[in-house]
Amino acid sequence: MTIETTPADGYQHGAAAATTSVVTSRRPSGRTSTAKPRPAPGTEGFSLVRLVGMGVIWIFTAFNCFILYWLLVSSLKTPREIFGSPFGLPHDLFAVGRPLRNWATAWLTSGFGTAFLNTVFVVAVSCVLLVAIGAPAAYALSRLAGARLGGALTTFFVVGLGVPFQTLIIPLFVAMSSMGMVDSLLGLVVVYVALSLPFTVFLLTGFFVSLPDEIEEAAAIDGLGPARTFLTVMLPLARGGVITCVTLNAIGLWNETLLSIVLLRDDSQFTMARALFTFYQTMQYNSDYGALLAGVAIVVLPMFVLYLFLARRIIEGLTLGSGK
Amino acid sequence: MTTSANEVVRVLARTTSDPGAHARSKGRLFGPFLAPALVLYVAILVLPTLATVALSFTDWSGAGDRPRFNGVDNYRALLKSFPDGAFAHSFVNTLIYVVVGGLGTFLLAFLFAMVLRDMRGSKTIRAILFFPNIVAPLALGMFFGFVFKAPDGLANNMLALIGLDWVKFLSADVVTWVAMSGIVWASAGFYITIIMSAIDRVPAYLYEDAAIAGATAWQKFRNITLPLTWDVVGIAGVLWTISAVKIFELVWVLAGPGSYSPPVGSWTLGVMVFDRTFGGRGTPQYGVACAVAVVMIVLVLLFVVLLRRLMRRDSVQF
Repeated sequence: MTIETTPADGYQHGAAAATTSVVTSRRPSGRTSTAKPRPAPGTEGFSLVRLVGMGVIWIFTAFNCFILYWLLVSSLKTPREIFGSPFGLPHDLFAVGRPLRNWATAWLTSGFGTAFLNTVFVVAVSCVLLVAIGAPAAYALSRLAGARLGGALTTFFVVGLGVPFQTLIIPLFVAMSSMGMVDSLLGLVVVYVALSLPFTVFLLTGFFVSLPDEIEEAAAIDGLGPARTFLTVMLPLARGGVITCVTLNAIGLWNETLLSIVLLRDDSQFTMARALFTFYQTMQYNSDYGALLAGVAIVVLPMFVLYLFLARRIIEGLTLGSGK
Repeated sequence: MTTSANEVVRVLARTTSDPGAHARSKGRLFGPFLAPALVLYVAILVLPTLATVALSFTDWSGAGDRPRFNGVDNYRALLKSFPDGAFAHSFVNTLIYVVVGGLGTFLLAFLFAMVLRDMRGSKTIRAILFFPNIVAPLALGMFFGFVFKAPDGLANNMLALIGLDWVKFLSADVVTWVAMSGIVWASAGFYITIIMSAIDRVPAYLYEDAAIAGATAWQKFRNITLPLTWDVVGIAGVLWTISAVKIFELVWVLAGPGSYSPPVGSWTLGVMVFDRTFGGRGTPQYGVACAVAVVMIVLVLLFVVLLRRLMRRDSVQF
């Protein structure tokens, strides 16, 4: 057992109020391990509490995998099967030769097809605009302004993170309806971009600050103006941050529900979350649970695929954003 | 605003660094680079927030009506709803989500982070635990609706497997706790990730010294791990508060039928704002909704100040 693992155990011992015997018995090995090279992770000595902790983690992990399986499998089942044999493989719809019946219902009759295209449009345009507006702003705040002014303005932006969207819906709804911008996807895009700025500025100023001054100076000596320095040198260097920022914003906007409910009334303009919300309401009249789960899967799967490719970046971005 | 900012920068650039052409053109860029973001942010986030604060002092029933100033009547009405009115339930439930849910999430996150630290395949496990965070809360709510459906949902099926009777998980008095465990489960991965990154930065020699001095494992946690990760825990706490105060759609679909508001006993502040605005129960009360929204902001502010105070006292440089 290396020293590094002991706090983990200790915390659980403390919680279990059964510390003394286990800890004292391990203390000698803690001393000797400074002389020994550290063993590979996962091969340290045996501890009951640690084992329990690992057991709980495995159960949690298995459960997360199971729900994904359950969601996919259930979206191919009839309601009777979903509740009657929740663990089994789908059978009834395959037996009648229409295995994709739920998906077809969700996609065609319930308008998830249109909603999918609308959402892709809204999220894509929002993310492009967000980088076009947010990255220069973050650069200006972190590198073009003095520390005092830049810091104060950055705080002014970041405070926006703490404003719940519920606070905005009434003034936004009233203002947008008087301008005829309700039911407009572009109107929604403008709102999304504005409301994503606090997080974007927060994350990107962090990235720009971490770039060394020398690079900027070298670019200046080579005769580049500040605008071109930003576009051709600094922005490419902060690429990792920009990708992380776009990914996190894309996930957030893809799943955004409250504002899409408030600002979209006409179902030809619905985004996915909005369509799912309406679809759920019709459930009380026709209990088409299979199609509902297919709808949920249509909302979740694109993000899941994105996550498969970008999990590392997302996690890295969070780590960096909360780092200091 | 931006022009004056521009000038300040120009002055700063002239006095602090060499007054060359480069610094001046950098200053000139500040305005154009910042202006679009600042305009959008002020127009769509700052001004509506101020408008909501102003509207919270009016009596306004929405479209077709004009807001009339009525002082603090809305707030007085909210206070009067204690102990059993709509606002009382919403307020208490929101506090439960923030405090109890927060404690649960952070306890879980710390336990998992410390066990995961030197476990095989911890990267993969972390990614799997993080997964629920990318799922729309709306979809999570619907999913929990299936899981906890009575009498034939997944959870009740599992109870039946071990020979227990089914439970009405989604009745108004228990749904808050069901929703909270769901949210804790879903967000644990996010906070595990953040807290793990903080624990990874604690230098190993501190633990070695403590071991030589004969510290128990609990003492090591209390005196090394916790103080050295306190900053990050504080930030994570702020993030938790912000996300917990605005819980809305998950409760909306889990506790209710979806087309109109769930039973009052399960409300959060977010649900109440929506109900008073678009809920479809009686006439809308925009003034009251704005007052509730202001309470949400005040709650966020209060918790952030509280957390920052806690953080500052214990923060350690290393």
